Amino acid sequence: MSWAERWRTLPRDARDTLFLLGVIAWTVLPHVSHLPLWCTLLTAVMLLWRTQLAMVNGPLPTRRWLAILLLIAAGLTLWTYRTLLGKEPGVTMAVALMALKTLELRARRDAFVVFFLGFFIILTHFLYSQSLLVAAMMLVSVWGLLTALVLAHMPVGQPGLRQAGSLAARTALLGAPIMALLFVLFPRVGPLWGLPADGGPLTGLSNTLRMGSVAEIAQDDSVAMRIRFAGRIPPQSAMYFRGPVLTQFDGREWRPEPAALVRSAAEIGLRTRGEPVRYEVTLEPQRLAVLPLLEAAVRAPAIEGRHIALRPDLQWVTDRPLRERLRFDALAYTDFGHGAAASPGTLREALWLPPGYNPRTLAWARALRRDARQAGAGARQLAQAVLSHIARGGYTYTLAPGVYGETEPLGAIDEFWLDRKLGFCEHFAAAFVVAMRAMDVPARIVTGYQGTDRLPVDGYYIVRQSAAHAWAEYWEPGAGWVRADPTAAVAPDRILRSEQLAPLPGLVAGTLRSVDPQLLARMRGAWEALDNRWNQWVLNYSRGQQLDLLRSVGFRAPSWHDLSLLLVGALSAMALAGAGWAWWDRRRVDPWVRQMDAVRAALRRLELEAAPHEPPRTLALRVRERLGPAGDSLAGLLETIDRQRYGRTPAARPDGALTRRFRAAVRQLRTHRAARAPATP
Amino acid sequence: MNVSPERARAARAGPAADAPLTAAAVLRHPIQAWLHGRLRRTESLKLTQRNIYILPTRAGLMFAATLVTLLVASINYQLNLGYVLTFLLAGSGAVSMQLTHNTLRGLTLHLKPVAPVFAGDAAVVEVVLSSPWRARHGIGIKLDGAPASTLTWVDVPSGGQASARVSFVPRARGRHDVPTLSAETRFPLGLFRAWTVWRPVGGVLVYPKAERPPAPLPVARPMPGGTTAARHVQGGEIEGIRAYRRGDPLKLVSWRKSAKSMETGGELVSRDTSASAHQELWLDWAACGTLPAEDRLSRLAAWVLAAERSGVHYGLRLPGMQVPRSQGAGQKRQCLEALALWQ
Repeated sequence: MSWAERWRTLPRDARDTLFLLGVIAWTVLPHVSHLPLWCTLLTAVMLLWRTQLAMVNGPLPTRRWLAILLLIAAGLTLWTYRTLLGKEPGVTMAVALMALKTLELRARRDAFVVFFLGFFIILTHFLYSQSLLVAAMMLVSVWGLLTALVLAHMPVGQPGLRQAGSLAARTALLGAPIMALLFVLFPRVGPLWGLPADGGPLTGLSNTLRMGSVAEIAQDDSVAMRIRFAGRIPPQSAMYFRGPVLTQFDGREWRPEPAALVRSAAEIGLRTRGEPVRYEVTLEPQRLAVLPLLEAAVRAPAIEGRHIALRPDLQWVTDRPLRERLRFDALAYTDFGHGAAASPGTLREALWLPPGYNPRTLAWARALRRDARQAGAGARQLAQAVLSHIARGGYTYTLAPGVYGETEPLGAIDEFWLDRKLGFCEHFAAAFVVAMRAMDVPARIVTGYQGTDRLPVDGYYIVRQSAAHAWAEYWEPGAGWVRADPTAAVAPDRILRSEQLAPLPGLVAGTLRSVDPQLLARMRGAWEALDNRWNQWVLNYSRGQQLDLLRSVGFRAPSWHDLSLLLVGALSAMALAGAGWAWWDRRRVDPWVRQMDAVRAALRRLELEAAPHEPPRTLALRVRERLGPAGDSLAGLLETIDRQRYGRTPAARPDGALTRRFRAAVRQLRTHRAARAPATP
Repeated sequence: MNVSPERARAARAGPAADAPLTAAAVLRHPIQAWLHGRLRRTESLKLTQRNIYILPTRAGLMFAATLVTLLVASINYQLNLGYVLTFLLAGSGAVSMQLTHNTLRGLTLHLKPVAPVFAGDAAVVEVVLSSPWRARHGIGIKLDGAPASTLTWVDVPSGGQASARVSFVPRARGRHDVPTLSAETRFPLGLFRAWTVWRPVGGVLVYPKAERPPAPLPVARPMPGGTTAARHVQGGEIEGIRAYRRGDPLKLVSWRKSAKSMETGGELVSRDTSASAHQELWLDWAACGTLPAEDRLSRLAAWVLAAERSGVHYGLRLPGMQVPRSQGAGQKRQCLEALALWQ
C-alpha cells in the first residue's frame, strides 16, 4: 500500500496523533544543533515509538515507565550541565518533557499540556535566533499546533486536516489585528529581574584576551552592528570601534584595569580636531556592557532606559550587558588625542611585566633600545622601530597560527616573536605591548572592531564579528595615548581595505563563486537587505520607536502612561466592537424566513390568514380560492417564491425584488378594493 | 400519585442520581434549581447573546498562565519575536472566545415528539438544531446537570439541520416533562465553553415497568352468549394463537410465532383452537392478588403486552375505570396509557 493511501485509510485518532507528532518534530527540529546528543536521540526514539503505537493502536506505556524515563532525562541533563537551572538545561528538559508527554496522551488535559509546552518551546528558539528563517519556521509550528487544537474540538466524524488547518488559520488571522495592536502599543520595559549569566549571545568581544581567543570569532561572519553614516564617511583605515582596553597582564591573560568612572571626556584630556562623523548604530546583542563606539566619542549617546558612563581608558560602558538589540545615534571625531595627563597609577600598570615571563623578548627589546640608532629616542621612535621590525622581520599574518606556550609555558610571546612568527592581530598587539613595556614605554592592548564591509547594503555598513580586532596604544609624554596597529605593519590590507582573512569557502559557496563571483555577493546582499529590514522594523522595535509613533500621531510629550492608556482604549474599542457584532447578529435571521415574514404580513393586510408552517404554494392556493381571478398575479408570485426556495434548482438566497413586487401587488389590490367598495360606516 | 417512597426519591434525584455529589455540586444545586425555575418552557429556543453563557475552561486558564509565562520570558530576555508569539496567541485566544460564542449564536433548537417508554427504560429525546447561516462544529447536547461524558456531539451544516439524541431514564410512571437540556461547545480552541440551558415544552408518557418474568395470563372466559359450540362443529381448525399456558401439549406450540415473540422478549405461543375471538380476557386489578399498587400496575402492563402478542381481545379493569375489550396497537396504547396515568 502506498503511503498516501495508508494515510487516507488511517483511523481518525491515529491520523490526529501522527499529525501532532509531526508538528512536534518540526517544532523541536531547530533545537537539534543546541541540544546534547542524548536528548536529540531520546526525542527521536520517543516520537518514533509513539508513531508506531499510533499506527498499530497499541497500548501506551504505564506511568511507572514514564517516571523512570523522566528521571533518566533529568539525570542526563544534570550530568551534561551540572545544573537544572538556566537556559540550556531548561530547553533540554522542556524538549525531553515534550517527547515524554506524547507517550501520555490519554485525556484532553494531556493534549493541552502538549500544546502549551509546544508554545513554550517555540519561544525558546528565539533565545538563540530571531532571524526571518526561524520566525517563518515557528509560524508554521504555531499554525500546526492551532490546527491540532481545532481538530481536537471537532469531535464529529472525520474532519479533514485542510478544513481544520483553514479554521486555525482563520482564527489566527482574525487575531492578527489584536497582535499588531499589542505589539505596537504594549509598553516595553526592561528585564523584570536579573538574568542567568548565559542569557545572551555567545559571540562578541570579550573582556579578557588569551592567545587564540580572537581566532574563534575571526571565523564568525555574523553581524555585530550596522552603521549608517549621516554625511561624511570616514576612510576604512580610520574606522576603529573601541571595545575593552586591556592593561593588566599576568603573563597569560590580559584584563582591563579596574578604574572609577569619570564625569566627562574633558577629565581624561580628550582633545579633538576637525569635523565630527555623525552616524547611527544598530548594535546586535553583546556579551559585555561595553559600547563599541567609533573612536573617539566625546559624549555618551542617548539610549532610552540606559545609563552610559566613561572609563578613564576611553571605554564607554553601561550598567548591564547589552542583551537586546539597540539603535542609537552617535558622534565621533576620528582625529583626536587623549590621556596626556594620565595618572601615575595607570602608567605604572601599563609598564608592568610579570617577572619570569618571556625573557627572550624582553632581552630583544632591551637590545633594541641599546642600539646606537635608538640612542635617546622617544616613545614614538621606539614604536616605529618595533613596527618596522614586524614589517621586515619575516612575520606572517594567518588565522591558524597554532597554539603558543605549550612547549614554553612562560614564553608564549617569545615563541611567537622570535621563533615561529605566525600570528594574527592579538599576537602582534600583545608582543608589541610587551616589547614597548620592556623599553619602559607605557603601552596597552585595545580590542574592538576594525572596518566594515566595503559596500553598504541599503545604506547600512555592516560590521561583522569577523572584524573583531586587537591593536595597541602607547603613551608618549605630552601627546598622551597614541594608537599603533602592529597588524597593519604585517598585513596592511587587513586595515586599509578591511579585508578580513577569510577561511576557505565551503563546497557550495566555492562552486557558486567559481560560476559567478558576483552572484554569491549579490545574493548575500539581497538577503542581508531583507534581514536588515526585519531587524529595523520588527526586532528593533522598542520603547524609543513606541514614543516616536505616539509623537507622530499627535502626542506632544508621550510617556509610558499615554501608551498604556492608548492600549487600554484600543482594546476596549475592540471588545465593544465584538459585543456590538454579537448584538447585531441577534437580529439577523434566515433571509428565507424574513421573506416569508414579509409575505405573511402583506397577506394579513388582505385579511388572509397564513400560518408560519404553510409553504408559499399553499398560500397561493388560498389566494386563488379567496380572491378569484383578481388574485392571479399574487398567486403567481407566491408560486415563483415557492419554486425559488423548494424547486429543482433552489436559489441560494431569496430574491429581494420579488418580495418588493409582492408587496406592491398587495398594495394595488387593497387600493382597488377600497375604490370598488367604499367603506361602510 | 401513589408511589412508593424509594421510587419517589429516585424520581426526584433524576438521571444524575448515580453520579457522586461533589461539594461544588451540592452548593450549585439549589442555585441552579432556582435559576432554571425562572426559565420559561418554550417550544423552540433561538440562541441569542441573551441566553448564551460563556466562561473560560480550565484549559483556557492554563492557556492564560502560559501566556503570562511567555510574556515574562519575552520581557526578561527582551525578545521582540517572543512578544509577537505571545500576542499572536493572545489575539487568537480572544478571537476564539468570539468564535465559540458564534458557534451557538443564531442556532434554533426544537424538539421532536418523544415516544412513550416503560419506566426504567431510556426515553430518547431528539433535539433538532437548525443553523440559518454559518456551518457549526462540535456542539454537544446533554441533559442539564449530567456529566460531560454523556454529551452527544453534532455538526450543523450552514442553512441546514442536524439532530442529536439524548436519553434519560424515567424511574416512575406517569406523564413527565422533558428534562431541562443544555447545549454547549468549546470549538474552536477549547479555551472557552459557551453553553445554554433550555426547558423545552413537551412531555413523555412513562408506562409502568412491565413485570419480568411476567406472571401467566389469567384464563380467558368464553364470551357470554357466544357460539362456541357452533365453531366447534367446524372443529380442529386453528383459529388463532394465544400465550402458552402451563399444560399445553407441545404440538400446540407454534414454534415460528414463538421464536418471533421471544425475540421481542415475549414467551411461548400456543395455537388456540378454541375460537379465541369469542373468548373474553379481562386484565383485572382484582386478579393481581395482594400485591402493592405499583406492582399490580407492573403486572397489568406485562399482561397487556402478553395479551397483545397472543392476539386475543382483551380489556382492562382498574378501580374507577375500565378500558373496553378490543385488540391491536391502539388498544395496547390505550391500556398502557391508562396504567401510566391511573391514580
